[in-house]
Amino acid sequence: MTLRAGTLELEVLRRGSGQPTLLIHGVNPISPRAAFVDFLAQNVEVIAPSHPGFGASARPQDFDTMYDLVNLYHDVLDALPAPRINVVGFGFGGWIATELAVAGARKLDRLVLVDPVGIKISGREQRDIVHFFNTDPAELNQRAWHDPARRPNGIYGLGWQATIDDTMSDAEMVSLARNWDSLCLYAWKPHMYNPQLAFWLRRIAVPTLVLWGASDRVVTPEYGHAYAQRVPGATFRAIAAAGHHPELEQPQEFAEAVVGFLTA
Amino acid sequence: MASIELWNHCENPYPFVPAEVLDAAPAVRASLPNRYCDPEIAARLYDEVFDEYRLCDELGLHIVTNEHHSGINNLWAASPVITGIVARLTHKVRILSLGTLITVRPDPVRVATEYATIDVLSRGRLDIGFVKSGATEMVSGDANPMRIREREWEAIDLIEKTLTSHDGPFSWEGKFFTHAHVNIWPRPYQQPRPEFWAATSDLPTCAELGRRSIINTLLFGGYTRTKQAFATYRQARADAGLTPPNEDRFSYMAFCYVGDTDEEAMRVGQKIPWFLTVSMKSMPQMSKFQPGQIAPEMAPAAWRGGASKRPTDLSVASLIAQGQMFAGNPDTVVRQIKEFRRRVGGVGRIIMMTRQGLVTHAEAKKSFTLAAREVLPQLQDLEPVT
Repeated sequence: MTLRAGTLELEVLRRGSGQPTLLIHGVNPISPRAAFVDFLAQNVEVIAPSHPGFGASARPQDFDTMYDLVNLYHDVLDALPAPRINVVGFGFGGWIATELAVAGARKLDRLVLVDPVGIKISGREQRDIVHFFNTDPAELNQRAWHDPARRPNGIYGLGWQATIDDTMSDAEMVSLARNWDSLCLYAWKPHMYNPQLAFWLRRIAVPTLVLWGASDRVVTPEYGHAYAQRVPGATFRAIAAAGHHPELEQPQEFAEAVVGFLTA
Repeated sequence: MASIELWNHCENPYPFVPAEVLDAAPAVRASLPNRYCDPEIAARLYDEVFDEYRLCDELGLHIVTNEHHSGINNLWAASPVITGIVARLTHKVRILSLGTLITVRPDPVRVATEYATIDVLSRGRLDIGFVKSGATEMVSGDANPMRIREREWEAIDLIEKTLTSHDGPFSWEGKFFTHAHVNIWPRPYQQPRPEFWAATSDLPTCAELGRRSIINTLLFGGYTRTKQAFATYRQARADAGLTPPNEDRFSYMAFCYVGDTDEEAMRVGQKIPWFLTVSMKSMPQMSKFQPGQIAPEMAPAAWRGGASKRPTDLSVASLIAQGQMFAGNPDTVVRQIKEFRRRVGGVGRIIMMTRQGLVTHAEAKKSFTLAAREVLPQLQDLEPVT
């Protein structure tokens, strides 16, 4: 299934009915096999495109910056017929969602940020975000999960390189490699943040929930608290026994938190 | 009739970190703490290799410098700095910087300025080489590893325009580089500009080098890849309606040791593969998992079973058999180079990597002397390759 957004055709996962809820993915597209998608779809309409260069979405020549992605997601919001749309951003996608909200996206209804990156908080000699591309994948895999052994089979988060085994198909490898290349193109430098963004979080004018895996050691809950404090009226909520991908490690609790917030 | 030039390339390796440290370290490139680099030893190594370059100048062997960063393989961390010194230490031979890392450096105009300066102070003996850079260099240089091929070409274009523009400031607003006011002093000594080289076996890049008449050099490519690269270069020129390239458009870098006897050369030459067996170790995120290193379609082959491109059989004999090394007494080396030339369809510039691995200063000087006095004369006035 595809979604036409402006001049681009994006692969999209759609499921359920109810309030339209746009999921903006992180390191890999939202997996149709992920349990949290079904939980969400019992209450809201899930719309989850793949960014250009991820999954089956083509990446046009010269589409290579966060600026391009943010404007594309403005196009996505415009392309959806509903007057009000919820946005849930995951990790790297949380950064995109934050940029949309700061820009005052017209249709944006409620915003959920799940372990987002995108801002710089601490000093020049402290790193807020573990380097995705310059960390041993084995370490990244440990940092990204509360318990790496609980990663759902066939679904990949940060540190996926450390989980390559014979069960992975060639097609999965090609797709993961392509996603990884695209992520790097968009976010190598500054690594995973916009130096100006923290200052402008005050512009976010929609109800916002900041959800965080309590065991996330890629971007820590402390970073999450600081993020939430800069968004007017935002609520911070930690999810226990989950790392950088709480939607994958605690799908039910995650979905309940999101649905509770979106339908309140 | 054709002739082959001989060039000396030394990366100035630092093989003095204890083996137990190297074995225990997850990487010897980019991440090994520099406390293991003793500046006194480094200073001695600089002296030795600069002395070797002076010897090359006397003997008529041209000189190549390069740069790699933060590893035991290379103390030439800034090629233009080293090349500038070589320019003043030598008087006759050509000097190739192969090269400064233009995919990592933020301002090609600055690169052009450095090279123009060296060209003037060497009175026109500079050649400028371009390399795409390796994975550890992207990390050491904090440069996005994606799109480096496009970035490299834009840098080359801007450097060329900078070196060849003499009528006052111009501006550049490219995809990767912008510069509002370009007008370098001095301008280069050679007109219209120093010779350009590029190191690659990537076939589309070889084709573009052919269309631009840039010298194509391969590093340890072996017979098959080298032949394929040079054929692609020739074909691209033919397709564009350009004249066939002379052999001087083609270059090849191989490990090399010339001894009095084959036995001596094989024995000393066996110190060279250290480069491959010890000095290449890098972190997985700086090798097979770094974005942009391979086309996504190639990922399964690269990732399955921890597949490594590193050769397993690193005897001198096997490297010779693969066309990656020339070693023996002078006549043997002449035969090997002529055979290589024949099998790849012609090559005009052989770059010898001799002072590599555990090879000593004295051993290097001996090989250079034999190469210049007994190999080089036999590589002049050769019949055309058929």
